[in-house]
Amino acid sequence: MMAKLPDIIFLVSALVCVASAVAIVSRKNPVYSVVYMLPLFLGMTTIFVLLQATFLAAVQMIVYGGAILVLFLFVLMLINLKPEELRDDFSLVPRVLTTLGAAMLAGVIAVFARRGSTDGLHHAFARDVDAAFGSVGSLATPLFKELVVPFELASVLIVVAIVGAVLLAKKKV
Amino acid sequence: MFTLTNCLILAGIIFAAGVWGVIARRNVLIMLISIELMLNAVNLVFASFARTHAGLAQPPQAHAGETGQLFALFVIAVAAAEAAVGLAIILTIFRNRATVDTDDMQTLKQ
Repeated sequence: MMAKLPDIIFLVSALVCVASAVAIVSRKNPVYSVVYMLPLFLGMTTIFVLLQATFLAAVQMIVYGGAILVLFLFVLMLINLKPEELRDDFSLVPRVLTTLGAAMLAGVIAVFARRGSTDGLHHAFARDVDAAFGSVGSLATPLFKELVVPFELASVLIVVAIVGAVLLAKKKV
Repeated sequence: MFTLTNCLILAGIIFAAGVWGVIARRNVLIMLISIELMLNAVNLVFASFARTHAGLAQPPQAHAGETGQLFALFVIAVAAAEAAVGLAIILTIFRNRATVDTDDMQTLKQ
């Protein structure tokens, strides 16, 4: 039973991801494209947890699902769309996809919380790893030892992006 | 089913969808979302290879698996910055021209 579980979770998440990716690029109305981003991120996060990239999964959900998605929605609100484009979809499909993705994510998180790791969830990958792989602690050591300079440069990049975005979006100087 | 190959195939499909969105669509917002799609597919590749090479501890690459996941984190940081600046640019264009259609942005062509 346990050997079959990751395959099923991966298959469902992959199908959710592919369906929402195709929907994102094929919808006429950008509002629906943004709505379809949510199941995509849920499926992606599920696969990240399966790959035991747990901190990456958390960051993915916070940054993409929490920040970028809302940013896109805010900008869509500021840009007036033609009302006739709002009727080209029925809203059941995004709900079903989002529910499926959320169910898969909840499933892997439940397994993770019970066992302390997703070990046994990824038998297909060649090498077994210790339970700490992908946690904050195991990522912090190489980040602050070998990748300190890129880390600091990333913070500079984000500051520049914030200032640039504010300058660009400000109404009149 | 849940193997490295299938993870890479999934990432390839998502990346291809993003490329198609950038090339074929005319809406700037959907093009920006497609770029996010492509960056996400790259993150999936990073995470898959990180899992494959986890625990590989030869001296030149002491943290092979962790480094792969950290690369994905940097990609996420760059993607967030890119989305903020890109949306600000779209907002400015819309304010000046009242359009988000790339066919209407031809100032440099004329």
